[in-house]
Amino acid sequence: MLTLLEQLDKGVLWQSPGGIHPPQFKTLSNQSAIARLPLAKRFVVPVPLVGEQATLTVSVGDTVLKGQVLTEGSGFTYLPVHAPTSGKIVAIEQHATNHPSSLPTLSCIIESDGQDTWCELTTSNLAQLSKAEILGKIKQAGIAGMGGAAFPSHVKLNPASEIDLVIINGIECEPYITSDDRLMRDHSDEIIAGVAIIHHLLSPQRIIIAIEDNKPEAAHAMKAAISRSSLPQDMVRVTVIPTKYPSGGEKQLIQIITGKEVPSGAIPAQLGIVVHNVGTAYAIQDAIYHGKPLIERVVTLTGEHIGHPGNYWIPIGTTVADTLQSVSFTTSIDQKVIVGGPMMGYALADLDVPILKGTNCLLVPSPNEIAPDVDEKACIRCGECAVACPALLLPQQLFWHSKAQEYDKAASFNLKDCIECGCCSYVCPSDIPLVEYYRVAKSALKTAAEEKRQAEQAKIRFEARLKRLEDEKNAREAKAKEAAAKRQANMKASDKDAVAAAMARIAAKKAQTESHVNSEEASSSVAPTAADPKKAAVNAAIERAKAKKAAQANTSSVPVATNNAEDDKKAMIAAAVARAKAKKAAQETNATSPQESEPTTVTAIDDKQARVAAAVAKAKAKKAAQETSTTSSQESEPTTVTAIDDKQARVALAVAKAKAKKAAQEASTTSPQESEPTTVTAIDDKQARVALAVAKAKAKKASQEASTTSPQESEPTTVTAIDDKQARVALTVAKAKAKKAALQHVTQQDDAGLASPIADTATLNELHILPTENKLAEQPADCSDQKPGADLSPEQIKKAKVAAAIAKAKAKKLAQNAEQEEQ
Amino acid sequence: MAFKIASSPHVSTNLHTNTVMKRVALCLIPGLAVQSYYFGFGTLIQLVLAVSIAYCAEAAVMKLRHKNIKATLADNSALVTAALLAVAIPPLAPWWLIVIGTLFAIVIVKQLYGGLGNNVFNPAMAAYVLLLISFPVQMTSWVAPQTLALHQADVLSSLQSIFELNAPYLAEHFRLGIDGTTMATPLDTLKTDLSMGLTTTESMSKPIFSGMAAEGWFWVNMAYLAGGVIMLKLKVIRWHISGAIIASLFVCASFGFLISPDTFVSPIMHLFSGGTMLAAFFIATDPVTAATSPRGRLIFGAMIGVLIYVIRTFGGYPDAVAFAVLLANMCAPFIDYYIRPRSYGHRTGN
Repeated sequence: MLTLLEQLDKGVLWQSPGGIHPPQFKTLSNQSAIARLPLAKRFVVPVPLVGEQATLTVSVGDTVLKGQVLTEGSGFTYLPVHAPTSGKIVAIEQHATNHPSSLPTLSCIIESDGQDTWCELTTSNLAQLSKAEILGKIKQAGIAGMGGAAFPSHVKLNPASEIDLVIINGIECEPYITSDDRLMRDHSDEIIAGVAIIHHLLSPQRIIIAIEDNKPEAAHAMKAAISRSSLPQDMVRVTVIPTKYPSGGEKQLIQIITGKEVPSGAIPAQLGIVVHNVGTAYAIQDAIYHGKPLIERVVTLTGEHIGHPGNYWIPIGTTVADTLQSVSFTTSIDQKVIVGGPMMGYALADLDVPILKGTNCLLVPSPNEIAPDVDEKACIRCGECAVACPALLLPQQLFWHSKAQEYDKAASFNLKDCIECGCCSYVCPSDIPLVEYYRVAKSALKTAAEEKRQAEQAKIRFEARLKRLEDEKNAREAKAKEAAAKRQANMKASDKDAVAAAMARIAAKKAQTESHVNSEEASSSVAPTAADPKKAAVNAAIERAKAKKAAQANTSSVPVATNNAEDDKKAMIAAAVARAKAKKAAQETNATSPQESEPTTVTAIDDKQARVAAAVAKAKAKKAAQETSTTSSQESEPTTVTAIDDKQARVALAVAKAKAKKAAQEASTTSPQESEPTTVTAIDDKQARVALAVAKAKAKKASQEASTTSPQESEPTTVTAIDDKQARVALTVAKAKAKKAALQHVTQQDDAGLASPIADTATLNELHILPTENKLAEQPADCSDQKPGADLSPEQIKKAKVAAAIAKAKAKKLAQNAEQEEQ
Repeated sequence: MAFKIASSPHVSTNLHTNTVMKRVALCLIPGLAVQSYYFGFGTLIQLVLAVSIAYCAEAAVMKLRHKNIKATLADNSALVTAALLAVAIPPLAPWWLIVIGTLFAIVIVKQLYGGLGNNVFNPAMAAYVLLLISFPVQMTSWVAPQTLALHQADVLSSLQSIFELNAPYLAEHFRLGIDGTTMATPLDTLKTDLSMGLTTTESMSKPIFSGMAAEGWFWVNMAYLAGGVIMLKLKVIRWHISGAIIASLFVCASFGFLISPDTFVSPIMHLFSGGTMLAAFFIATDPVTAATSPRGRLIFGAMIGVLIYVIRTFGGYPDAVAFAVLLANMCAPFIDYYIRPRSYGHRTGN
């Protein structure tokens, strides 16, 4: 078994699969030496990296010299751009570029001064330069791969891995193109000098200069140049390979020379192989030995519509239009101007685009040179494309899936390994533009991959943000906790003592209060739930109230005013309670044998509730007083006060006041039947006002009723007050009632007819505010069934106001009516 | 001025679908000529009939589908289908046989599936199987080879026979052979004889056999082989399918023949009788219904060869080309799905 090196030395070749043998047409352009064209007037030099990796070193109006660098930048793949001739920069603008898309790119437009004056060039000696300096010079000369891809050469000359084999690509397998052929024939020594630099940089074991057998002159010239050179003769050789398209493809050439395949997705350097074009070798020696940057290249101008086909040194930046003008080209209908060869080149729509570093050929064919435009026909699955494919793909399957836009399936047939050589399209008997389908599919896949990548990045960013916010929140909380702990630690012992002392006082007072309460009636069931000291006060107040009541009922004596209030507010409550009771007692002087059922459940939650309870107590006291004069009255007064905060206290207080007044009025009344279940479900402070209003209303009513005889009232009022606005509603309602009561005074008898319009109006307002509905209620039980209530939902506040206003209006009207009747 | 933009490549071969089809049809000529020599003008008449019906049917379908009639007819695929069916059916079969077959092949098997490139089954073989199952008597009555028949049917009598113009007796006259011996195909004769307990040697001593192979049929097959070789040279077809059919049939036949020469037909007989060569080079190579990758095509061809042998030897029909091809057609998408070439750069352990 021979080693690879031995096989290389023997010139053993491997077979590259597929491939085609299109007509060459090389003799059209390779018959004369490389010539020069007259210098153009205007140059378009694209500076695509400006803004990304580079900045411009010139501005509009500057004069530049030939070879002067136009950009400055950094980055591994950055390549400087040079002025192709001396002249003036007339514009820096977006200009169509030499690309299938013709999309505009930032370009320097240079107007030639015709002098073609070089800038200062620094020549150097290879022996005096370090490898890094050589690479730097190659980079500064802006050398890119001359085969077409224009990949920065210094990157390929500075590989990460060891390079065993360098292949100098002189294959030029595309039909028509002869630029490398002529360069090898005319400048073989320079190319070998460039090869020597590559050898110096990479120190490979072998350098193979590969040339197709359709270029025997070039192969001969190169062999001669090698023998003239100082390179070790046994390690550089010219290998002539059979002509077949696309042998010049990097991967195919490696396969032919070494039998190895570049793994999918890998680069040749991973196999220890680097491929450079002969033109690149030439440019490298020009840069090192002459200091010249890459500002011109050999371009094959060919095709039957070119007057003087051949190879020409053309400065990079010369427009295609200028170039073709100087070789007298003609056009026909549907003329194509192809950049590159007929197999892989692209047609230009606009000729005002520059020649670039990778532009090796301009083909201006006559209609009979190229394939006519024919309609795509049905694929007959002949499989010729698969036979021709150098990448061993199944082009017909790729086509099926690409056409059906099943790009994922196309990808599963290794679409990405397609090198777009065009062999499949070339052989297709159905004239299907297969490569075009693959390009579309590839770009769709690329777009999809890019979108996926961006989506993933966005997700990562989003998650990072969430995490950051969470971390910040946690940090804040930790800080707050720490601060709280600190505060607690700093709290003085005296503060704690004060709290304990207060609690002790409260307990003592409670005990004292309880001592006053003895031998009371069993019907009063009190369930105090004392959760804190203040609740104790509440209970105390309740019990006080009861005690007073009992005292009044039995002995009709003025109870001793207690002085149990431990703080201001409680004092006030107690005072109020006392006042109320006093009044009540005064009125109850002739009361006899009252029957009471007063289950009172006070679920007091905090200190402010105390006031509520006090108020309740007061109210009851007053009621009791009023009942003294009633005979055989049946009362049902379940009063549930679910008071939640301090302001509710005021509510209760107000209720109490109202009742007190009422009682005063009723003193002279005989046998009233009352049913006053009052449920105050007060939720916040503003509700207090509601209750107050209710109370006032009742009070007024009571005053009206004072002179009435045997009034039968049913006044169940359910105030489900939720916020302050409702309070106003209730107030209005109360006022209305008051007025109505005044009317009743006049009518003396129940008058449902008058009340009903009010009720109707309220119903219309969907508020169910039926403030007063006078009915003949023989039984209190019946009354409870017909309880009108004021159910105010918070969102109907405004409606409530409306209703209230209506009620007021009606009340006034009724009042007027009453007056009229009186008159 | 505006220049024309087109995607690369800008050049292409001159080998287009219509050229390919035309060449296939032209390469049928040697076989057709030899077949006409041995079996009379009937084949040519059938060919004319089939081609005209095929073109008419295709044009009608294209009109209904609002497609370009001229472009479709110009691809010559109908010509090839019609020609293959014409050479496959008995030369003096009644005219309606070929009409039904051609209409079925073009309209149902090809166009209803979407036209050229989309049909699943080989149109000619699907039509052949339809006729064979529907009209077994007419489809198995071959005329006697010219060398055996006392009267070779001339053009006129062939026409009269095919169009049943004169009398039914005339058709019977030629179909059955003038001496009253039923002239089934040699494979049919062999199969019948073997089932009757005769050995292959005994059976092959009959006049319908000449030496190692069947009288006439050997040369017809040789002519199709020659046409096939020309197609290979012209790169109209690739060798994989044809080679695989011949190789697998030969291997199977040799195996059976070595085990029991008396009850199994010889490989030469298998290769050069019936429609073996026609199938190997002209029918199975229809690219639309075959596998597409080289390796897939080898499998596809080998499958046809094995099926031909199995059906001929153990099946109920004397020849099996049509069935074998249709069965393989069914497997082609499956083969294409699983048999994929290893693409460049996907070498394992590289």
